[in-house]
Amino acid sequence: MYLYKTGIAQIDDVSGGLEAGTNILILAPPMSYAEQLAYALTKPSQGEYSIVLSTNERASEVIDFFKLAGTDKRFTGVIDAITKSSTPGIIDTQRMMFVSSPTDLTGIGIKFSNMIESIFEGDFSEGETGLFPPPIRFCVNSISTLLMYRRLEVLYQFLHVLTAKLKKTEGIGIYILNNESFDDKTLSLIKQLMNCVIEVKVESNISSFRIRGIRGVPASG
Amino acid sequence: MISTGVSGLDELLGKGIPRGSRVLYSLEPGVDGQLFMISSLSCSLKKGMSCMVILPNATVDAFRNDAVARCGSRLDLKNAGSIIFLDAIDRERIQKSARTPEAQAREWQARIQKICRENKVDVIFAYFDLLYEDFGLETALKILDAGRSDEKTTIFIEHLNLEGRDLLDRFTSEFSFNLVIAVRSSDRPIPHFTYFSLVHSSWKTSVSRSVPFIISEGRIIPYIPNIVVTGPSQSGKSTFVANATRGSQPADRTGHDRDPVSKAMDFGWLRWRDFDISLHGTPGQDEYDPLIPAALEHAMGVVLVIDATRQDTFVRARQVIDLIERKNLPFIVAANKSDLHGSIAAETIRHKLEIQKTIPVYPIAATRPADVHRVLEALVEYITQYSR
Repeated sequence: MYLYKTGIAQIDDVSGGLEAGTNILILAPPMSYAEQLAYALTKPSQGEYSIVLSTNERASEVIDFFKLAGTDKRFTGVIDAITKSSTPGIIDTQRMMFVSSPTDLTGIGIKFSNMIESIFEGDFSEGETGLFPPPIRFCVNSISTLLMYRRLEVLYQFLHVLTAKLKKTEGIGIYILNNESFDDKTLSLIKQLMNCVIEVKVESNISSFRIRGIRGVPASG
Repeated sequence: MISTGVSGLDELLGKGIPRGSRVLYSLEPGVDGQLFMISSLSCSLKKGMSCMVILPNATVDAFRNDAVARCGSRLDLKNAGSIIFLDAIDRERIQKSARTPEAQAREWQARIQKICRENKVDVIFAYFDLLYEDFGLETALKILDAGRSDEKTTIFIEHLNLEGRDLLDRFTSEFSFNLVIAVRSSDRPIPHFTYFSLVHSSWKTSVSRSVPFIISEGRIIPYIPNIVVTGPSQSGKSTFVANATRGSQPADRTGHDRDPVSKAMDFGWLRWRDFDISLHGTPGQDEYDPLIPAALEHAMGVVLVIDATRQDTFVRARQVIDLIERKNLPFIVAANKSDLHGSIAAETIRHKLEIQKTIPVYPIAATRPADVHRVLEALVEYITQYSR
């Protein structure tokens, strides 16, 4: 089974990386740099692909972040749920797709499938090919925003489909959720869809995190 | 009649949809079926009908741009018949002005009623997800019904169906929808074909079909699904195809009546789980390998027929599997002649062919139609299991 390197020694050294099909929830308070952590986990290694569903930042900003981190942009795609509301005429490209708003789960699902399909068919990276079957890292930034627009039960059903698809394609999923803005019921329902939870804490301006649910990795920060 | 804008679908329905009908396009998550609604809208506008589009999750401009990008010059929203929108901005206004869900529902109804009355709306197109989420099924449908000034007003709904068959049943049994079309895809591991299923039609009760389609140049183009039967030479492919369609005589064990080695494509038809399926059997010799990728184009799945009594053909079978895997197609293995002495057990075949445990291996006798049908049923089940 393919293992996804995380860059986190506690995971990579103990288990060799994340197993294909893993879905990780990052529970974090606001301004805890959870986004950077999520993007670091999403950054594709050699031969891998990444897709980010962005409900908070424009596609160009997400791509800039990955570019600064030294990623080959031909292996990164963004589904942008922000830009279209202010720039309705914006046109999809192979690696930047736009949906009308974070409420548009139909559009998000279709663009996600389109990107996965184009990766499998080798059309995603301008002729460059990665590994096959393609290892895909998928990031949702963030579930918190989606929950502002859609009911918990609906979003749960939608994410259930998405996480299952990701398991089938042997990708991994990384999802950010603000744990200070939602009640226990919401957190526990979303956790049901995940194999692993990373809890981020900020104390005295220092961020730390605790990992739970990865085989062999002790629950420590 | 109102055209769906999808050639093939109109014919199935008897030239289109009777005016005054209630129509549901149910989309599975991730399945690109939005062109059904847009095509129907485009056709209604071309006929000069007055249309209202309710899109609570997008602005008019975003919708226009999307729709035109998808349909190209076929959809001319500027110069078409009359079209009025209620969009995401209207939803926001309603939510701000009316505090309770009941008051919001009344506000939606009032607006729809006013627009329909003043513009003599013939067809309402509603993107339903958020109305359903805000008000529940019954109230959301009542809101739309407010626009039905007379029996001739037709309603089209597009809905992201996260609840599966149960929800479709509610539309037909509780709310008397006249037409329910589910847009689905196979999913192993990526969608390799999308199809629509005619789940219910009140005026064409005998019609029940599932039809794959591709989208090309802004059009939905249905096609006949194809199952490819392939495998090493003399493994029993022609017999398999013949017995699938109950046509010609089996020849795989005698070889007396005809040349036992096929050097052309075998061809047959069958009806299975509402699909009208064509079967193509490929020749088994490696000099015909260049034909196989073309045969696999738009195939919904593959049956690999092997001779379970001849281990010496397994190397060739493995070569054929490599060709199938390059196309990412689902396949199952039919181990023919498993009824004969000396045949190899299914698990041993799996091991020798180095195939995953998830790929079924069926010991069969291709001379028995029941065995052949069991394999085809399993393949269709295997392909569509995530879609029902």
